[in-house]
Amino acid sequence: MSAGGAVVTGLGVIGPWGAGCPGLIEALRAGAPLSSEVDRTAGYHAAGGARRAALVPSLDLARFVPPAQARRLALPSRWSLAAARMALEDAGLPALEGRRVSVVLATVFGSVLFTEKLVRQILDEGPEAAQPFYFSECVANAPTAQVALALGARGANVTVTQREAGALSALAIAAQEVTEGRADVAITGATDEMTPLLHSLLDRYRAIAKPAGGRSEAPRPLAAGRDGFLAGEGAVALVVERDVDAAARSARPLARIAGSARAFDPTATESDWGVGHERLGRALSALLATTFPDGARIDAIVSGASGAIRGDALEGRVLRHAWPAGDLPPVVAPKGVVGEYGGGHLAAAILAAAGAEFGALAAFDAPDPEIGIVPGRLAGGSPPARILASALASGGAAAWILLERP
Amino acid sequence: MSGAEAAHSPSDSIVVTGLGAVTAFGWGVSALWEGVRSGRTAIGPFDRFDATRHRTHVAAQVDLEPAPERPGPRTSLADRFAIAAAREAAGSARLPLGEPRERLGVWFGSSTGGMLESERYFEVFLRRGALRARPGLLAAQQFNGPGDAVARDLGAGGPVVTISSACSSGAMAVGAALRALRRGEVDTAVAGGSDSLCQLTYAGFNALRSVDEQPSRPFRKDRQGLSLGEGAGILVLERAESARRRGVPALCVLAGEAATCDAHHMTAPHPEGRGAGEAISLALADAGADPVEVDFINAHGTGTPLNDAAEAMALNRVFGDRTSGIPLTSTKALIGHLLGSAGAVEAVVTILCLLRGEVHPMPDVGERDPEIPLDLVLGSPRRLGNARCAISISLAFGGTNAALVFRREPFA
Amino acid sequence: MVTGETTAQRIKRLLVDKLHLDGLAPEGIDDRMPLFGEGLGLDSVDALELVVALEKEFNLRIQSHEVGREAFASVESLAAYVDGRVASVGDSHVGG
Repeated sequence: MSAGGAVVTGLGVIGPWGAGCPGLIEALRAGAPLSSEVDRTAGYHAAGGARRAALVPSLDLARFVPPAQARRLALPSRWSLAAARMALEDAGLPALEGRRVSVVLATVFGSVLFTEKLVRQILDEGPEAAQPFYFSECVANAPTAQVALALGARGANVTVTQREAGALSALAIAAQEVTEGRADVAITGATDEMTPLLHSLLDRYRAIAKPAGGRSEAPRPLAAGRDGFLAGEGAVALVVERDVDAAARSARPLARIAGSARAFDPTATESDWGVGHERLGRALSALLATTFPDGARIDAIVSGASGAIRGDALEGRVLRHAWPAGDLPPVVAPKGVVGEYGGGHLAAAILAAAGAEFGALAAFDAPDPEIGIVPGRLAGGSPPARILASALASGGAAAWILLERP
Repeated sequence: MSGAEAAHSPSDSIVVTGLGAVTAFGWGVSALWEGVRSGRTAIGPFDRFDATRHRTHVAAQVDLEPAPERPGPRTSLADRFAIAAAREAAGSARLPLGEPRERLGVWFGSSTGGMLESERYFEVFLRRGALRARPGLLAAQQFNGPGDAVARDLGAGGPVVTISSACSSGAMAVGAALRALRRGEVDTAVAGGSDSLCQLTYAGFNALRSVDEQPSRPFRKDRQGLSLGEGAGILVLERAESARRRGVPALCVLAGEAATCDAHHMTAPHPEGRGAGEAISLALADAGADPVEVDFINAHGTGTPLNDAAEAMALNRVFGDRTSGIPLTSTKALIGHLLGSAGAVEAVVTILCLLRGEVHPMPDVGERDPEIPLDLVLGSPRRLGNARCAISISLAFGGTNAALVFRREPFA
Repeated sequence: MVTGETTAQRIKRLLVDKLHLDGLAPEGIDDRMPLFGEGLGLDSVDALELVVALEKEFNLRIQSHEVGREAFASVESLAAYVDGRVASVGDSHVGG
């Protein structure tokens, strides 16, 4: 179903590339995974397992989150607030008075560090040692609430927890908030943090890429020998408004949201992808047909392929199902650069729509013959006419967004 | 402006065709109704985990003995509650299952997912090392666990979304389903929530000194805080036209919804209930209902000194002089605060009250609070044979508020 | 715990460490400065956080109704409260 009439007018990003779009744009152009060594001194990790993650470097965010505000915020809240303010600045909307604002953010794991600390306190020291700070920040909706609190946003406050499909699902909801008149502005995006403990658990689940033989540890989306994704963290925020409102204040939209759809594959297991590519493929085809009934060409696909073994297989088959003639547009896989979690894929999709360049993925070696898709490049320059962003979640959910040149 | 001027025609109404629930009163909607009717609280000593060192020692726990299914190896307790409630709701709505359901979506609320099982994992992990702890326990940890479990169990093919907005998750999930049906995104929506007791929330709310040592006493003068509970609540929703075509009775209409944010403080509500009042007003407007039409209120009513006072002020803003004459109850006094599933279970209870023409009571304990002149239903059920319209309110941690409006039939 | 510290000094150290008042030195907190609202500007969650820290540091149990009362108005009043509690025999582990 479409969500027309909404545009993205601002983008704020914090991730392994640092703070701000220039770092991300450069990283997407270069095509190399933004990974660094995880701190394994706590001893959670198994020997021979994964050692790298796409981690946010130490950042001075005082310009966006003054220390007095930051002192009680866990990292996801701090990053989300900074990203939201960056996005509003980018949108030319530093003040929101008189506007009704909704906040719709996605997270997969919530505030992991504080949750760990709280659980440890309860189990090690006893319930009486539980710190109120940790609890109030470890609910999944803490970042969403903190953003609303800082901005005075009194519209709907929605936290979507739908794993890898959460960010695009949140974007669809945000677009509906403004096109259906419940808000004038919607701040949307995603945030997650990657702690050593969480990293070690993902490794134990064999979900993430690891060193093997002489090969570097890196995510290899859509590749034959892929062995998992790159775990990431950060926060991304978008400003979404009605196209008429953006035009009225002469804002320069980054992209128009032409359509969105969400579906589910019940063959998935609770922590992996399934084999329902036909049903999901039909849902995607229906979205394309409804949004562009004249069959207009999609210029590029910003795929959610991450290096996950079953996830990438499903993604590839779904895309092939929706392009049965085999004439797939270029497919880029930015999670090979920014990793999974934290909104990097969402940001990459907006940047693609705005005309960013995507270089070849440095770590990609051989294509998987069963998928038959090689991650491509985007030359960048002028914004493409139409982009598809795709995100399939472990557990079964799926979300797609169609972006158009504004 | 009266409800008759609303834009929706009867065939456009979104109706409830199935209900399911698991609570401390038992597995199923009948057990829930018998329990809430009785006015006896289900909050008491519990053993979901060892609460000896926690600051308080009561909660409303689900008895696992009568559980209909045996758990799978990677199924959390919250998943089990969710699946059981969903099967009951789907059964009562006579949803044809076992075939691809592209036009069936699931909207769900959960605040902790499988955290209880994760805590058990970490107990072993911390005491005996990572290799001894069963990773399977973490498989169901995710917030989206229960909602996805329902979607897989029902074979859903449409949108599946879990919202985790603390205490308003369940109500927001129901509200999101309503909007999806109105815009034609799906033909059937299964909407609800599920949460289990766990040490994280039990210790956390205690660290905030928000928990009463006794079963909570909403809106009473001597109230000291909330009581926690666990369980799941589910509604099956579809367009009235669809229910008629399938020959399934429409239990009532889900007439309106709204969600707002106080943007005031992370743990304390706006003292004048500003955001809450807005949510109630907007939900009524969405339902095409005038405040004068509301026959009873299922309040958020946690029993914390601040929440109840703010909520009472919010009600006053909306209902004015009429406020102290509208029968009001809080299901939390009986089944505890179910966090992510509270809004959904309370929606089920509100619907049951509408259907039976009876507002369930809260236990008649404590003293009247002179600052809160509400018409509390205490001790025994209040007969309201002509009840047509009711509102259910959920006010969450972080200041996010939601309200749902139900009508007995499309138009008076 | 640093030996030779007064109760007031220990409380100031807790305020800075536990409430993450970065950039503020413990000595920079005046004994009589209001802690809540004005002065240091702490709020209700800070109060609860402080209670947990005090209970741990001084081996006390603080009842809910005592939080936010006059005892918590300033470092001076808090130090007097803590000294009074610690001095009474049998206070530390009894009661819930």
